[in-house]
Amino acid sequence: MPGYYDISDILMEDEAVSVVFHVGANGVGLLDPGTETNSVEKGAKIDLPFWLAHELCRRRAVSITIPSCFGQKMKKDVQADAACVDLGTRYPYFYEFGCKLFPLVGDKSIGPFLRHTFANRYKEMLSKSHTASLNAIPKFVLRLSKEEYQLFEAARSSMVEFKKWRVRDLGLMKTTIVGHKRKTDLH
Amino acid sequence: MAGQTDHSLSIFSAAEVEFIAEDEMIEIVPNIRMDALNLLCGDFGPFLPQIPCTVPLWLAVALKKRGKCSIRTPDWMSVEKLTQVLEAERESPREFQPLPFHYVEISRLLLDHAHDDIPEVYMVRSLIEDIRNVRFHKVESGLETISGRTHAVKLKNLSAMEVNVVRPFMARVLQAFYKHDSPEMVQQADTSASKRPQVVDRGPRVSLSCVTC
Repeated sequence: MPGYYDISDILMEDEAVSVVFHVGANGVGLLDPGTETNSVEKGAKIDLPFWLAHELCRRRAVSITIPSCFGQKMKKDVQADAACVDLGTRYPYFYEFGCKLFPLVGDKSIGPFLRHTFANRYKEMLSKSHTASLNAIPKFVLRLSKEEYQLFEAARSSMVEFKKWRVRDLGLMKTTIVGHKRKTDLH
Repeated sequence: MAGQTDHSLSIFSAAEVEFIAEDEMIEIVPNIRMDALNLLCGDFGPFLPQIPCTVPLWLAVALKKRGKCSIRTPDWMSVEKLTQVLEAERESPREFQPLPFHYVEISRLLLDHAHDDIPEVYMVRSLIEDIRNVRFHKVESGLETISGRTHAVKLKNLSAMEVNVVRPFMARVLQAFYKHDSPEMVQQADTSASKRPQVVDRGPRVSLSCVTC
């Protein structure tokens, strides 16, 4: 798992989660926009960044409610068609966030849900990523979360590099290699 | 080594794989007279006109570029053999046919530099392309069957360049599946009343064979 210095980890932990405070907290009224005094009441529902919620949860000062990205609507979307769910724009840190959230929240179904989503999207992504060319970015790339995008990029760049190597010295003979179009090619 | 930002998955670049492939031995027929070459990797020669001898591929290509030899095509690169291999590849959807480990690189070097020494060069070129495409599609379809339980993927008879192309993707995919699966497997075993037998470590053996570095 990425650690303290990893940028994507830091960015991921900036996601907001909704928490319910178990204890009152003084001097941090900043967190709750609706409060008059400079403190947070017990039982208040507040949005905190994940890194803060994580620490407070460990000290049992708050309890985290499951954010909407792992809720019922998302589960229905994934069941309908996992590959079309737009993780890129809405929840780019979907998987990492889920993995971090999983031990803190009581809901045990998040883990298998993540895996199920990933497995379904992976199948779709597999063939497309290898045959995608360098310039044209297929639309489905915009729907990938950060982690999936890295996979896609790894496959694509190694394929592109291989192709470049192949036609390197050929000059005029390129046409003999460029070859048969197959249905999975996305040129 | 050409690496990516994630150094644990650094790959060889295609040119580096080619460099390693150039150590393969190949037969040439020199047309000049030259003394023996005593190199660290071995002694070659002396070279006499029209007497075939075996040298490393890099030396063969270098001599060929200077017009000092002609390269004899390796056996596996004949049209009949390649057609056989292509048929066999198309017939067996899960297995790869045995081919020399560096066949992609060797064939590319020979087709580029020694195309006048190869009989029916266009046929050979298109056959090799077809073989490569079929094998690569097999790899892809095999990869679709990886699930969370796969610990290793076995890809038998895959060549160096093909391995190099899929290596970063496959390594990351296995890592991602591992990350998603292991803690949850433990959790699942707690909640669901052990519906799966706890012989957890024997994931399904996917029968493609691979060398993950």
